[in-house]
Amino acid sequence: MRRILAGIETEYGLLVEGRGAEDQIDDAMALVRGYPGERLSTWDYRYESPRADLRGFQLERLAVDPVDEKFDEGRNHGAPTDVRSDQILPNGARFYNDHGHPEYATPECFTLGELARHDQYGESVVMQSARSFGEAAGKQVRIYKNNTDFHGATYGTHESYLVPRALGFAPLFAAVTPMLVVRQLLTGAGKVGSESGAWCDFQLSQRADFFTEAANAETLYRRPVFNTRDECHSDPSEWIRLHVISGDANMMPSCTMRKVGLVKLAIHLAESGEAPEWKLNDPVRAFQDVSRNMEMKARIGLEGRNWTNAYEVLESYFAAAERVLHLDDELCGIIADCRELLESLSSGDWQSVRGRIDWAAKRHLLEHYMAEEGDNWKGASMRAFDLEYHNIDLEEGLFHALVHMGDVPEFWSPGEIEECSVGNKEGTRAFVRALAVSKFRDHVHTACWRSITFKVDGKLIEVELKPDIMYPGHLKDANDVGTFMNLLGVER
Amino acid sequence: MMDGDRITKPVSPGTKRLGEDGGPSAPDIKRPDGGNELLKRMKKVDPDQAKKYRQRSGE
Repeated sequence: MRRILAGIETEYGLLVEGRGAEDQIDDAMALVRGYPGERLSTWDYRYESPRADLRGFQLERLAVDPVDEKFDEGRNHGAPTDVRSDQILPNGARFYNDHGHPEYATPECFTLGELARHDQYGESVVMQSARSFGEAAGKQVRIYKNNTDFHGATYGTHESYLVPRALGFAPLFAAVTPMLVVRQLLTGAGKVGSESGAWCDFQLSQRADFFTEAANAETLYRRPVFNTRDECHSDPSEWIRLHVISGDANMMPSCTMRKVGLVKLAIHLAESGEAPEWKLNDPVRAFQDVSRNMEMKARIGLEGRNWTNAYEVLESYFAAAERVLHLDDELCGIIADCRELLESLSSGDWQSVRGRIDWAAKRHLLEHYMAEEGDNWKGASMRAFDLEYHNIDLEEGLFHALVHMGDVPEFWSPGEIEECSVGNKEGTRAFVRALAVSKFRDHVHTACWRSITFKVDGKLIEVELKPDIMYPGHLKDANDVGTFMNLLGVER
Repeated sequence: MMDGDRITKPVSPGTKRLGEDGGPSAPDIKRPDGGNELLKRMKKVDPDQAKKYRQRSGE
């Protein structure tokens, strides 16, 4: 089975004492630029193509949120690349300002465990920057790893998966879309209330209210369940990057692993030609219906006026994967884990999975509070607690209180998370980027996901980083840039 | 309208392998006490925190 390279980009919510959304771009720029650790500020934008669509065309322009446009009236934040304030970190990650949100994009990883660990390390990077920024500004700064402000603004947690271009759009869309609709049952972060449609007390997904189309290339407005942006971050003749925007930011590493593992299963099945053929008649409505029904009673409408439910869809993928794929240990573990959770959920015992799924942990603490204090779902405190579940400060956040109390298992010790500061141990292309930035930074002219451009003896030499190979560990033994480039097979 | 049949294919019910290793335990319903870290933190939360929280739309 092919190793699927993957990464996660998280846009964090930013609350600065005495400041508002109109100041958010300036604040996010200052926060990112104030990161106190080592970094390189020479991101290479040449290969970015946010308007390209996997279906073979280019959008003339991307839609923008009209409310955000009003925030920017009469303001000039500077050149777009200055606004982004890109930093390349010594572990190969990218840290930047994305529309007023500090965004941490993990180094690319092959395994689910390593990716989830790097995702968690990202919280530490953002928190360090927030502390520096707060001290410099003399203001309290809070950071939230969530996806909504409860007033109709959402910001994303995106996943990227390397997929062969030869697979094509249609099989990928057909295999992945049903999985995106149902996986929230086992991975959602949970949300009090709704921001579109009829009121609901609590739903599984933070993002469901914001999808309006089944598929398109937009990310800021008119958001789709299946994003068709074709920005491949590698050789476009060979690869596409599946850009998933419908997932929630997870506090639990187990949810992060499950979220990514389920999409990997769908991709593997698409490549094998054996993906279950669910033909959803309305993926947007199905996504929203599943989000609002944690008992798995939501009917998912199919073409031909038939219907199914989340349990049947998930189980069909597991059965197909076991039948046709040579699953590795991680994906076998994901299937077993999901089946355990589905058994509990199908028996109505969602409270027993509160240590394993974010929405269940959140719902449990909220219901407990309501029972103790006599509050109700529409009380202002409920949304405040929802927000504070995602506060990444270890001393303040409600999720971190659950870990502190042992209600949610601690996956890695602080020391194990900190190991992610020095790179990816799997030998992905992020390993090479990390070495270049940490050991040969004076020779790195620019870098991006796809390549590094070195400056050696006055010449610029671009080195393409292959996304599907494991680079050898002995690269770290190179003591000068010439040896490093020789080991990478660069002819000079 | 979804007035057709509930579709479960291509699932084979016999392939399910559910909770063989015991599964999750029963919910913990004990009342939090004064040392409960969660309760301590919840009491410090400004009830209007989410009302004040306004963000730009992201990607």
